[in-house]
Order: sequence, then C-alpha cells, then structure tokens
Amino acid sequence: MPDRLYRMERPENLRVAHLDSFTAVYHRNSGITHLITAPAPEILATLGEAGMTFTALRETLASAYELGDLDDAALAARLDELVAAGLVSTA
Amino acid sequence: MSDDAQNDPPKGATSRRALMLGAVGASAIVSIRPALAQTAASVVTCEIPVPDPGRAGNYIAADGSLVPAGTHGAFAPAGKAFKGEDVRIALGGGQLPGTSYEQSRAYTNYIRRLQSGTSGFTCFASLQMPRG
Repeated sequence: MPDRLYRMERPENLRVAHLDSFTAVYHRNSGITHLITAPAPEILATLGEAGMTFTALRETLASAYELGDLDDAALAARLDELVAAGLVSTA
Repeated sequence: MSDDAQNDPPKGATSRRALMLGAVGASAIVSIRPALAQTAASVVTCEIPVPDPGRAGNYIAADGSLVPAGTHGAFAPAGKAFKGEDVRIALGGGQLPGTSYEQSRAYTNYIRRLQSGTSGFTCFASLQMPRG
C-alpha cells in the first residue's frame, strides 16, 4: 500500500457538532451533512490539517488509543470512507 | 462549533481510551443529502394515496390502521390521492377535500402513521419540514 498523505478537510469548510453518540459534520462545499461515529471523529482529529501518512496515522492512533482491533484493512476502509465523503483529502 | 469539548478525542492523554476500528465492511459514516429540502417546492403538488397502492384492498379504521374491506366503522379507500397542500391543511386541523369529518380524521391518522418505504411517505415527510 503506497504511503500517501491523508489530510483533514480545512476546518473553515466544516461545521462540527458533537452529539451524544455521534458527531454531525456539515460539509459546506457539498451541502451534505455526515453523521460519523467512532473511529471516524478520532481519525479526523488525529490527521488534522497538517495530515499524516497511513503509517504515521496507524502509529499515532495505536499510541493514543487502546485499539481493540488494529487492522490495516479496516483502517484503510475507514479512511476511504472519509475520502469519499470529502472530509479527508489525499496527496 | 459545540462547546462540548469533553467529547473531543484526547490528545496525548495519559489514560488511553478504547477505540475499535470496526470491520472492513462496516461503515462509520451516514451521509444526509439535502434531497428532502429540494422537494420543498413540490410539496404543494406531491400526492399521498390512502391507502398505499400495495394495500389498496383495505379499509381505513378511525385510528388510521388498515383493516379488511367491509370492516364496520372503517372507511373505504379514498378514490384519489390527496395533494400535499390538502394534507397540510388536514394535519393542521382542516378537512380533506371530498370527505366527511370522521373519514377525514381516519385518513389523516393513516397519513400520520406512514412509514419510510410507503407510498406518499416522502411527501408526508416534506410536509414536516419547516419552510425556508
């Protein structure tokens, strides 16, 4: 898997509201609201605007959280979803 | 932005919170496209059949439930679908066109019980959206 850089969408393009069991993210550019649940908010916060590579993200998550199921395929799937939603961009 | 900062993921926290990445096929995102909002203009003309064509043989009881044809006290299906605007008036306490008072109440109760996937539900849902 190529170690691309993943970066969170610029904060000014997002309106985020933390609700009880999920986070609502309004994406201004598309006009679409995304309801996201763990681990998506944690991945977004970890990536930040600066972004990080897949490997760095995996290591940062593993050190910040007690990952019950560290699985590259699952993490890649979560990232793909965030990219498809426009909340994360790749370079 | 919410002030509810304690829900933010901890950064550099000493006690590590448990986090599951989930299965590959699972999804952590539900996207809400503003499709209903775009239907606002068509609310006046959208239609709600009573009952759903899939259950057209049933009568409508006073509480809006569907009962076998001929059930005493229940009403025969409406001859034609009601327009969104007519339903809006009925939901606000008015009466559906071409119906008696009790009949209109039964039909309106049926419409209130409409669920996703039933014919007319999108129209009914659109009626619930604030006009903006």
